[in-house]
Amino acid sequence: MHSFKYLVGEGFRSLWTNRLMSFASIGVLVCCLVLMGSASLISVNISGLMNWLGDQNVVKVFLEDGLTQDQTEEMKQNILNVGNIESIEFVDRQQAYESIINRMTSNPELIMAIDDTGSFLPDAYTVTFADLTRFEETVTLLESLPNVYSVSDKRELAQKLQSINRVVSVVGIWIVGLLFVVSLFIITNTIKLTMYVRRLEISIMKSVGATDWFIRLPFLVEGMVIGILSGAISFGLVTYVYITAMSAVSSVLSFGMISYSKLWVWCLIAFIIAGVLAGAVGSLISISKYLNKEGGLSNA
Amino acid sequence: MIEFRNVYKTYDNGTKALRDFNLFVDEGEFVFIVGSSGSGKSTLLKILMREELPSSGEVIVDGRRLSTLRHRDIPYYRRSMGMVFQDFRLIPNMNVFDNVAFAMRVTGASTKAVRKKVPYVLGLVGLNDKARCLPKELSGGEQQRVGLARALINNPSMIIADEPTGNVDPRMSFEIVDMLNEINRRGTTVLMVTHEHSLVKKFRRRIIEIQDGELVADSGSEVSYYA
Repeated sequence: MHSFKYLVGEGFRSLWTNRLMSFASIGVLVCCLVLMGSASLISVNISGLMNWLGDQNVVKVFLEDGLTQDQTEEMKQNILNVGNIESIEFVDRQQAYESIINRMTSNPELIMAIDDTGSFLPDAYTVTFADLTRFEETVTLLESLPNVYSVSDKRELAQKLQSINRVVSVVGIWIVGLLFVVSLFIITNTIKLTMYVRRLEISIMKSVGATDWFIRLPFLVEGMVIGILSGAISFGLVTYVYITAMSAVSSVLSFGMISYSKLWVWCLIAFIIAGVLAGAVGSLISISKYLNKEGGLSNA
Repeated sequence: MIEFRNVYKTYDNGTKALRDFNLFVDEGEFVFIVGSSGSGKSTLLKILMREELPSSGEVIVDGRRLSTLRHRDIPYYRRSMGMVFQDFRLIPNMNVFDNVAFAMRVTGASTKAVRKKVPYVLGLVGLNDKARCLPKELSGGEQQRVGLARALINNPSMIIADEPTGNVDPRMSFEIVDMLNEINRRGTTVLMVTHEHSLVKKFRRRIIEIQDGELVADSGSEVSYYA
């Protein structure tokens, strides 16, 4: 316990002694973590947007004219039997007519001139799908049902959404992975420089019989503290940028970003874990390399 | 205590550092190791410290075969020896006390033990009044005495001194060897590499001479090499 306290203290002492280098590596690591965090948050928000758009992506199943009340009810069950239906709502011709009139901000008289009861419009069921990847298959099944006049098909939009989602996911993973490797590289180099500065101490430690873990621990502490500080600073920056962006986006676009109150705990945990992981792994890589290759007793 | 049996050491670049090297040093002996630069003295010390392994042959220290020593046991093996370097190797931003205490702390000693032992050892080398000085405030001889105190702090059974007088004036060189002599008198084995024939002559202890990796002369115990 006493040794552990001493070693942790040594880690902090080294961080302070090499403060310029520590400051530089915290700066670069913060840049990486902010980029990683931003990429992840953008990805999460695009996924949210996909879901939002998916919710907007209602399919209309128009019914043949002249169906009885029972036949219309039966159609609802037939549609549900197709499967992959998340929600279903009946829209009669009168409701459809009113909806069109409401949406026509200019010249609604043009429609009203045709008919003011909407009798020329078909009854319809508005459905949303549970799984957009089965969009085409579900639409084909709906089209094949009896008493279906047509299905308003937005499969092109659905396909576009799908491919955007895929690209965003893949690019997001690559960006996060790549930046994590960059972060490791930065920590590795910082610790390597620290070890170079402290090579005399390491050589003495080895000559008097300090174990490899005893030599490693202060560097590990140093790397992890750099990681934690970088994670905390990155969290602060990303929080500020996200909240600013949230208010800007909500005032311009009809959909909102995911509320930060749902995300901040995860963000904080992710930043700290990413920082600690980059610090610990980066330190261990450079220390092991140094102790195995260069850290001889005569290399001080 | 120390035994080299038919030891050969060839480095990866082809340099033959030791050839058919045989040596036996008994517990409590004081041995001067002499030889020109590149003769193999440093390799001998590196093998003793288990920093290098022989290409062939056997080295046994205190009954331990160094070639079969596990990597994780090396630090514990090194605790049985104290190293004194030509360039002192003192940490510049630590004072005398902390430089000596460092060797205790990194082997897991408690603060209480450090506070008790360091002043005692500094007293042995006559540096109690310099405990708060930084290395740059000391003369070469005083710095080497700090190095000596650091080598002694963990009660080693053997002191390996690699040209400890190489960077100090002749009067202080004599004092340092005198201290090593005193340490040896208390039972610690001392191996000292040196170029200074005047010291070797003066102290009349066992001398081994290495040339081109071979042991070319061994005065035997306590005989005059220069007689």
